[in-house]
Amino acid sequence: MRDLNLARSADDRERFPVVIGDAGARDPVVTLTSLTKRYGDLVAVDELSFSLRPGTVTGFFGANGAGKTTTLRLLLGLAEPTSGEALVFGHRYRELDDPARRVGAVLESSDFHPGRSGRDHLRTLALAAEIPSTRVEEVLALVELAAAAHRRVQAYSLGMRQRLGLAGALLGNPQLLVLDEPANGLDPAGVHWLRRFLRDFAAQGRTVLVSSHMLAEAAQTVDDVVIIDHGRHVASGRLHELTGGERTLEDVYLGLTGGAA
Amino acid sequence: MTAELRSELLKQRSTRTGLGLFAGLLGLVLVAMLLHAYALPARILDSTSTQLMVFGRGGFLAILFAALLGALSITSEIRYGTIRSTFLVSPRRGRVIVAKVWASMLVGAAFGLAASALAAGVGTAALRARGIDVQLSGGDYALLIAGGAAAAGLWAAIGVGLGAVLRNQVPTLIGICAWLLFVEGLLAGDIAALGDVGRYLPGAAAAAISVQNADTLLSPVVGLVLLVIYATVAVLAGLLATARRDVA
Repeated sequence: MRDLNLARSADDRERFPVVIGDAGARDPVVTLTSLTKRYGDLVAVDELSFSLRPGTVTGFFGANGAGKTTTLRLLLGLAEPTSGEALVFGHRYRELDDPARRVGAVLESSDFHPGRSGRDHLRTLALAAEIPSTRVEEVLALVELAAAAHRRVQAYSLGMRQRLGLAGALLGNPQLLVLDEPANGLDPAGVHWLRRFLRDFAAQGRTVLVSSHMLAEAAQTVDDVVIIDHGRHVASGRLHELTGGERTLEDVYLGLTGGAA
Repeated sequence: MTAELRSELLKQRSTRTGLGLFAGLLGLVLVAMLLHAYALPARILDSTSTQLMVFGRGGFLAILFAALLGALSITSEIRYGTIRSTFLVSPRRGRVIVAKVWASMLVGAAFGLAASALAAGVGTAALRARGIDVQLSGGDYALLIAGGAAAAGLWAAIGVGLGAVLRNQVPTLIGICAWLLFVEGLLAGDIAALGDVGRYLPGAAAAAISVQNADTLLSPVVGLVLLVIYATVAVLAGLLATARRDVA
């Protein structure tokens, strides 16, 4: 048991966030503040601000080209914002110590060398993150790829690639999972499995940010919703507050983004 | 840093790219040695400098393949998108590039060692079989092989740096081949107006390390220092290019 030392270091505050009152007051896992990304004249992400509550699944919705993937890339340190900031656990991603143990992410379903086996792909990540190889076998079993792990990724179906990507994100047993369109290519059983997996993940107090354009499916999984259009924040909040218990998420989305409602 | 290096070494081992390059290299060395040793007239092959030049073809092919290996270590990650998960796990990108440099230098040096040793061995045997006296000393052989390993290791580093700057796989690989097989030869030999500038070019500096031609090349030590400088500049350029640029 840690003794009650009032002069806690910044590092300790980070590792053991102060909980004041109810769980809603905990430090946000992800905080975007006026996040902006311009490519020449094109504003891909425009003054976007939102935060994620721990222990929730947040659905991140928008049309193709609305800026979802760019936002996730900015959040994960793969791209630099033009202005504003994106913080994960209070830090810029690239300044996190041991990021694989805090954040797991899948941005593309096909980010594998076709000639490398699924197991070796995970091992290269595990070595870089100093994660024991026993954990590689654990995540392979978790996503039900153990039997195919010795095969090269070129022989994998899209669904298998999705699960291999997820296995890579889970290697470090992270507190935050960021997934870009994870249901693409999954069969109905795979979608069902993913939904249960994400619910269980959040039920352990961990957090999920999942982008999607499959609204009906996502509505069954998410607690919170962030909707963007042309890089701008359109709406966010708890799913049941947005839908009022009457309308579907699809109605809400189409009404807000100017589609036919 | 060691974590990233272990990861990079596994990346090298876990596809067939490295093995394919190695097999291709040894096959080409074999063909080159047999062609030179049997096709050239005996009176030309009789001199020490020609023998050094012929055996040095092993080291030359090794620097080409080592550079391709180094370039592929970064461009194939960009091509297949694994660079994303690599940078998610290791967001300090400089460490990834440095790890790629060390891993590629290690494998590249092995390429140089094997290719130079094979060239020296097969070349010597072929010349003897033709009844030509091989005039090289033990020191000459040692320098051929050690110099070949060092030159290929350094060219692997140049390949990583170049790949990190150019990022696009095909232009990078074509650029390396074009430079070593064509452009440098043109600058060094065929354009007389350039004088002896040719000996300071990176391919010639690599050849100088194993004294492939004492008449036209720098001394081995100067060649080594010069190639280290080239490799350092290439790696620094690669680090700079990788640090801030967005990953698609």
